Amino acid sequence: MQLKIDLHSTAFEPLACLEQWQRQLIAVGHSGGAAESLFIGRVRGTAADGAALEALELEHYPGMTERQLQQLADTCCARHGVRSCLVQHRTGRVLPGEAIVLVAIGADRRGQAQRCCQELLEALKHDAPFWKREWRSDGSREWLSGNTPL
Amino acid sequence: MRLRVLLFAELRERAGWQERWLEITGTTTPLQLWSTIASELGAESLLPERIRIAVNQQFANPTVGLTDGDEVAFLPPISGG
Repeated sequence: MQLKIDLHSTAFEPLACLEQWQRQLIAVGHSGGAAESLFIGRVRGTAADGAALEALELEHYPGMTERQLQQLADTCCARHGVRSCLVQHRTGRVLPGEAIVLVAIGADRRGQAQRCCQELLEALKHDAPFWKREWRSDGSREWLSGNTPL
Repeated sequence: MRLRVLLFAELRERAGWQERWLEITGTTTPLQLWSTIASELGAESLLPERIRIAVNQQFANPTVGLTDGDEVAFLPPISGG
């Protein structure tokens, strides 16, 4: 199983990361899978209360975040028997429209790829130590106390 | 024993510090550590359910026994992805 996890402190382009990942898999002779599932999460233009959002701040726990992402990905990928897994996650100040997260799974079957992608995304939302703070356009700011509904 | 205590996000801002070394005599747990810093956070001395614990960068039970040099983090509700 091929696995790559990165945290980005500045903006990243998900499709460019995906292209680079696929070139990397080919370079190491990885056959890839017949099924690929990917998720890209971007910052909304509105805060939880509907106000205009200027930016989203993402704080993390250096060391534990990387370790948790690795453990969550290892466990989830093993459970679904997938062939490749790419996780890219932002930290710092993220602007509306910018990507926060990319999860890309390669597997032999679409069910494996789709289930693993969804499960890993939910796992990292709840069990990888990241915290979001909304910076609203009116100058107010607030830490979020949980995730948006599925 | 010496323990490294870490706070994040809203807890860090409420306390006004992110990292602190505490000298503890005898045995202790994350639950007991919380009761010693709760007043600085404007929180009750009983650990709220929504706060999770990590010891040495792994999720841990609040009642686990701590040893010299442990890193103990109090984690407000997580919102990744």
